[in-house]
Amino acid sequence: MKLEYNGTEQVPLGKDAVWAFINDPQKVASCLPDVKTVTVHDDKNFDAVVSIGLGPVRGSFKFKITLEPQEGGNRMNVKISGGGFGSVVDLLAGADIKDNGDNTTTLDWSGAATMRGPIATVGGRVLDAQAQKLIAGTFANVKTRMAELG
Amino acid sequence: MTTEKHAMGKSMKRKEDPRFLQGKGNYIDDINLPEQLWMALVHSPYPHANIKGVDSSAAMQVPGAVAVVTSKELNAYKVGWLPTFHGLDKQMVLADGKVLYQYQEVAAVYAETREAAYDMAELVDVDYEPLPVMADPYKSMTDEVILRPDRANATNHIFNWNVGKKAETDAALEASEHVVKQHIKFQRCHAAPLEPCGCIAEFDVMGRLQFYVTSQAPHVYRTALFLVLGIPEDKIRVISPDLGGGFGNKVPVYPGYVCAIAGALVLKRPVKWIETRTENMTSSFARDYHMDIEIGATKEGKVTALKVNTVADHGAFDAAADPSKYPAGMFGIVTGSYDFPNAYANLDAYFTNKMPGGVAYRCSFRVTEASYAIERAMDILADELNIDAAELRRKNFVQPEQFPYQSPLNFIYDSGDYEKTMDVALERIGYKELLKEQAEKRARGELMGIGLSTFTEVTGAGPSKHFDILGIKMFDGAEIRIHPSGSGIIRTGTKSQGQGHETTWAQIVAEELGLDPQNFLVEEGDTDTAPYGLGTYASRSTPVAGGALALAARKIREKARKIAAHVLEVSEHDLEWKDYKFNVMGSPGKSITMQEVAFAAYTNPGDNEPGLETTLYYDPPNMVFPHGTYVAVVDVDRDTGETKVRRFLAIDDCGTIINPMIVEGQVHGGLTEGFAIAFMQEIAYDDEGNNLSTNFTDYLVPTSLESPHWETGHTVTPSPHHPIGAKSVGESPNVGSPAAFVNAVIDALSPLGVKHIDMPLTREKVWSAIRTAEAQAAD
Repeated sequence: MKLEYNGTEQVPLGKDAVWAFINDPQKVASCLPDVKTVTVHDDKNFDAVVSIGLGPVRGSFKFKITLEPQEGGNRMNVKISGGGFGSVVDLLAGADIKDNGDNTTTLDWSGAATMRGPIATVGGRVLDAQAQKLIAGTFANVKTRMAELG
Repeated sequence: MTTEKHAMGKSMKRKEDPRFLQGKGNYIDDINLPEQLWMALVHSPYPHANIKGVDSSAAMQVPGAVAVVTSKELNAYKVGWLPTFHGLDKQMVLADGKVLYQYQEVAAVYAETREAAYDMAELVDVDYEPLPVMADPYKSMTDEVILRPDRANATNHIFNWNVGKKAETDAALEASEHVVKQHIKFQRCHAAPLEPCGCIAEFDVMGRLQFYVTSQAPHVYRTALFLVLGIPEDKIRVISPDLGGGFGNKVPVYPGYVCAIAGALVLKRPVKWIETRTENMTSSFARDYHMDIEIGATKEGKVTALKVNTVADHGAFDAAADPSKYPAGMFGIVTGSYDFPNAYANLDAYFTNKMPGGVAYRCSFRVTEASYAIERAMDILADELNIDAAELRRKNFVQPEQFPYQSPLNFIYDSGDYEKTMDVALERIGYKELLKEQAEKRARGELMGIGLSTFTEVTGAGPSKHFDILGIKMFDGAEIRIHPSGSGIIRTGTKSQGQGHETTWAQIVAEELGLDPQNFLVEEGDTDTAPYGLGTYASRSTPVAGGALALAARKIREKARKIAAHVLEVSEHDLEWKDYKFNVMGSPGKSITMQEVAFAAYTNPGDNEPGLETTLYYDPPNMVFPHGTYVAVVDVDRDTGETKVRRFLAIDDCGTIINPMIVEGQVHGGLTEGFAIAFMQEIAYDDEGNNLSTNFTDYLVPTSLESPHWETGHTVTPSPHHPIGAKSVGESPNVGSPAAFVNAVIDALSPLGVKHIDMPLTREKVWSAIRTAEAQAAD
């Protein structure tokens, strides 16, 4: 099952501060909703254990996350893959980072998730809501944390 | 105890039921051996992926962890791959380098407890590299992605099979006054026995493998283990205990079995493995045939030609449990009960990223697919020609005087009287009154449907000149030993999964020998004691082992005749077997019963060989061809799409009936499964190759609440070549009923212009068909 999402967040921080934030695995990981533990391997790779509740699929999912900053500092891609209980989720997300010139930044993000295993049988509407929560929640948290920093 | 001599045809209560009804059956999970380990399997969430690595370090930290095994270890012992039953392909035991379908077995874990084994399986970390997925045979036939690079030919096409005369059939279709065409899909289903599969493997102190396993064919397993593992058969004992249903699911040799044996061998402890429901639902399947059928006919409705082109989805391996020379099973029965002057069937099978199998599901090797296609198409023809569905069938039935009937697709039907059976059914259901009621309801806009299925199936594989599995000919053995008291023991190479052999086998022997069926112990399932036989599936037990039993009993009777002659002091030629005893011809009142002969066989045999026992192997001369007429009456709710099966009548002709109560029970069970297939069941996949039907929440099994009330009856047209004239019935209701249900629903919707809906006919599908038809009518 494939699901696609996109959205826009306005962050009250300059582009350089935003870029520094989203290149810090520890900070990005702290934005994942319902995150239980984070293990940072290097400046681009980290693992996160996240609580999931999707119909009969309940418990902890372990995700491997790779940050892929694009040259020029205008785009960040994130590869998330992992799962649990025989299910896997492969998520490719990315955000275009636009300097608004007024010390605010726009994150224009999109993501596509592929679900496999028992999680894929849960049903589109339930899954959709959860994936939406995971992806939109992450970017919303990014905005909140950055606002706190600002 | 009251004697039930002369038991043939009587509704004797099942001898095995006391232990089942009291919960005292001995199933695989009831068996535990000292020191046993538990095994669990790691399954792939990916339908198609390379395996870059397997990390078992976390799994081995679980308290009680013993070992983790992957294809690497199995390949070291040369058991990484298994031959499939017909020998045309091989199958991975554990994923070797790549996974080819979701839930494929990737690793086996062994632990001190069941719970520890499951915990270990969760923690085995497999690094997958996803590959493009081919979840549809029409996609995989493009060879855009080659799924099986291990095979010699770089193609997803597995085989082509065809039968009949193509040129003549094409010409006849071309010349026909009317031709109907329909694409008909028989969806992917699962046999779904309530008891999943499982096994315990133990190498005893003498190095002999004791293999307890849920098997419908214990002897086939023993020979397969010899072929795969190289262990001679005297060092293997396969024991199949009580089975909680099989329906074809317990025919294949599953990877879990091989891993349990490999674990027991290497770890030197018994290993037990019991499938979870999801494992059972994701390791094999039935059907998945996509059929394009064409019938040519005169405008009066006399059929002239039949042509069927089929695309078969075999999944990741060609593991169909069909006989070696029949890669599409008995699909040639697709001409059904009708006298087609010309016919041609062509089939191409493809690999996809789906679970392998193509086992039966209460179906004799693709007979259900064939029967469904022809019975649907005959209804479509009737609809297009505006001829009553029963009358169209009547015009085209093979006639009683045509038997033995040579079908255009190479079967020789043994016997049948299709018109008689249909007339019994139409009379009993009140067909004329139903048509009248339907006309009145249609006038009021109500949707009522009457569906017929006048099917013929082919069972009893089979004659050794045609049929084998792994090269082993499909005959069956029977052993009978009569004790001095006139009681006895019966052993066969078949294996009941609920068919009631402990009762019916006793009835056959008791009938032949004039003894009491209550006094026979029937033993099956232990290869140390049972004579060789190919097992119970494809409705072969009564046609093959049942024949062996009757002939073995007759052989005993001939031996008994010599002893009887000695006791009565007459020539054996002066004895006549009549009224269940030996009578001296010309001397009324001078006779001896089989019970008395049995005692003499051990006390006073004279110059004859003492004892009274025999083993006999029966190689049937032909298949048997049961038939029936099924009628479904349905009401469809125009607003909701809800179908109510108001009546369902099954008139079966399975030849001589051994036990009418057991036949009725078999028919009830099969009809319930047919109802489920028609309205509820499908192993569905999404485009990404996700299996969406992995449990009983998503794959529905009807309870008595959903099941219609079944009305049953029979006609009897004995098989001329079977020793007791019996055919078979276990699969008839599953073969014959889906078409009756679907024909009834389409008949109900026909005033709206609906021509066909593929199964399962869920409310949603029926509702959508009604809405689409109404929208088209409004345009």
